[in-house]
Amino acid sequence: MDAITVNQLSKTFRVKVKEKGLKGSLKSIFQPEYKSIQAVKDISFQVKEGEILAFIGPNGAGKSTTIKMLTGILYPEQGEAMVMGINPALKRKQLSYQIGTVFGQKEQLWMHLTPYDNFKFFGTIYDLKDHEVEARIEELKQVFELEEFINTPVRNLSLGQRIRCEIVASLIHRPKVLFLDEPTIGLDPVVKENIRALIKKMNREYKTTIFLTSHDVGDIEKLCKRIIIVNHGRIVLDDSMENLKYHYLKKKVVELKLRDAVDLSDEDGITVLKSKGNNVKLEIDTTKKDISDALKLIDADNILDINISNIPLENIITEIYKENRQTLMKGSDTP
Amino acid sequence: MLTEVKNQLHVILLSVKYNIMREMTNRVTFLMNVSFMMLNNAAFIIQWMLLFRLKSDIGGYGLNDVMVLWGLSAGTFGLAHVFFHRAFSLPDLIIHGKLDSFLVQPKSVLLSVITSATSSSAIGDIIYGYMILTIFNFSFSNLLLFTLFIILGALILTAYAVIVGSLSFWILRSEMLSENLNNIMVNFQTYPDGIFKNVIRFLLYTLVPVGFVVYQPLKIILHFNLMACLGVLAFTIGICLLAFFVFYRGLRRYTSSSLMSARI
Repeated sequence: MDAITVNQLSKTFRVKVKEKGLKGSLKSIFQPEYKSIQAVKDISFQVKEGEILAFIGPNGAGKSTTIKMLTGILYPEQGEAMVMGINPALKRKQLSYQIGTVFGQKEQLWMHLTPYDNFKFFGTIYDLKDHEVEARIEELKQVFELEEFINTPVRNLSLGQRIRCEIVASLIHRPKVLFLDEPTIGLDPVVKENIRALIKKMNREYKTTIFLTSHDVGDIEKLCKRIIIVNHGRIVLDDSMENLKYHYLKKKVVELKLRDAVDLSDEDGITVLKSKGNNVKLEIDTTKKDISDALKLIDADNILDINISNIPLENIITEIYKENRQTLMKGSDTP
Repeated sequence: MLTEVKNQLHVILLSVKYNIMREMTNRVTFLMNVSFMMLNNAAFIIQWMLLFRLKSDIGGYGLNDVMVLWGLSAGTFGLAHVFFHRAFSLPDLIIHGKLDSFLVQPKSVLLSVITSATSSSAIGDIIYGYMILTIFNFSFSNLLLFTLFIILGALILTAYAVIVGSLSFWILRSEMLSENLNNIMVNFQTYPDGIFKNVIRFLLYTLVPVGFVVYQPLKIILHFNLMACLGVLAFTIGICLLAFFVFYRGLRRYTSSSLMSARI
């Protein structure tokens, strides 16, 4: 069953346009001009129950607007969204019992209260009985390892501890779908890893559908099996992580430390990324040239050190951000 | 339906309790805020005492009447700001996209928003209001009427703040306008209505409905009139319904914090 169904969803914002300077300000008082910016354009996709989906894109791509339409914060202008069979624009309250939200940059917790009091408050918001909240807090306390600081005021917690509490607060009512907007923003690598492990555990144990937006490639790579990339309000890629890597990892990066410098700039299928003295960094398109053929161009005795790696996922995503998906696919498929 | 109302009330009371707990985090600041507000209000007693030495009747009011007017004014303002403080900063929440977390909760957005903060100094206003009533016009029936009217007055003040604050859904940078209108509501409460004539008097019962917040209640406290009492009650219900209507109509235009319009 689909947890989320989005059908041709669109949203436009009306923006005031002002000419520069004081003259422009005065003119805009008497003759205001507006222009429409379409933040989301005809987006359609489905998310299955229990799936972890990465919904990513550069700043201003329309991902936050989409997430806000799916959670009932914004009204769509056109199209329809259904989350657990509920239309967020029409039945916001009913939907909120089914979803949890964590906005990494917006705190929902009361800072002067302890996490325990906060969880009790959220339990009341979701009409849970006292004993239900207690049992749920106990359960989540174990899963998210909160024992150490559950009775410390939130304002005294570290960022990582706070995010853990934010996630727990959003899970108190056992939501079926969890929307995570930049959950690891500002966290150090160890805490990030910890949060990712907890999100995975939550998905595994509670079968929670997770809709994740993040600029952190690590989050996407380690958590998600499917990825949707949006840019300029449109979906430019909707594929499994496996396919993404299969299609795009046809290029290898070869770093060489040579005894004598070699010029490979004219070779087909080889792009020199960096060349400094006897150190060269090459990108080899394996659809045009095998790694072994490329290496044959250099005398084996001339090689002092070699390192062959895949293109980082971050680069692939950046490339997709920059170009249209079709153009990119065509390029990589060309023999 | 009844359970829903009960649950909503439970959340409101819990929210107010946590707000007050937050304000009490710093004991000294809390006590200073409360006591200085009472002192601040008391300063105006001297001003009115001096005026009444020069003239025994101002706009049909004597000193005791003006004092009860002040008590009502402080009580309504205090109660509104203890329970619904955020209603008075609604434009900021709308413009800066701070309604998001309330929109994903299964409770009334408006009630959750307006009860999400409190003003500690407003507690001083409520205490001051009751002190004034006790000193200048105390009786058991007056105490009951006073309590009823500061509750109704607080609801009117809050509903009015919600209506003018909701203009921000339609008019960009309307926070100054709503702030001015809220200030006018408060300022006009502290003068006898007898000094206002014609158009101004009409406005005080319509566009800036101070008349239903303090003038009518004062008249009822001085000379009880059931019909007038029901009139204030009906107006309160009417303006509260209007506040809900305006806010939820505006909410459809909410743009959250992506705030593309703010980058102008």
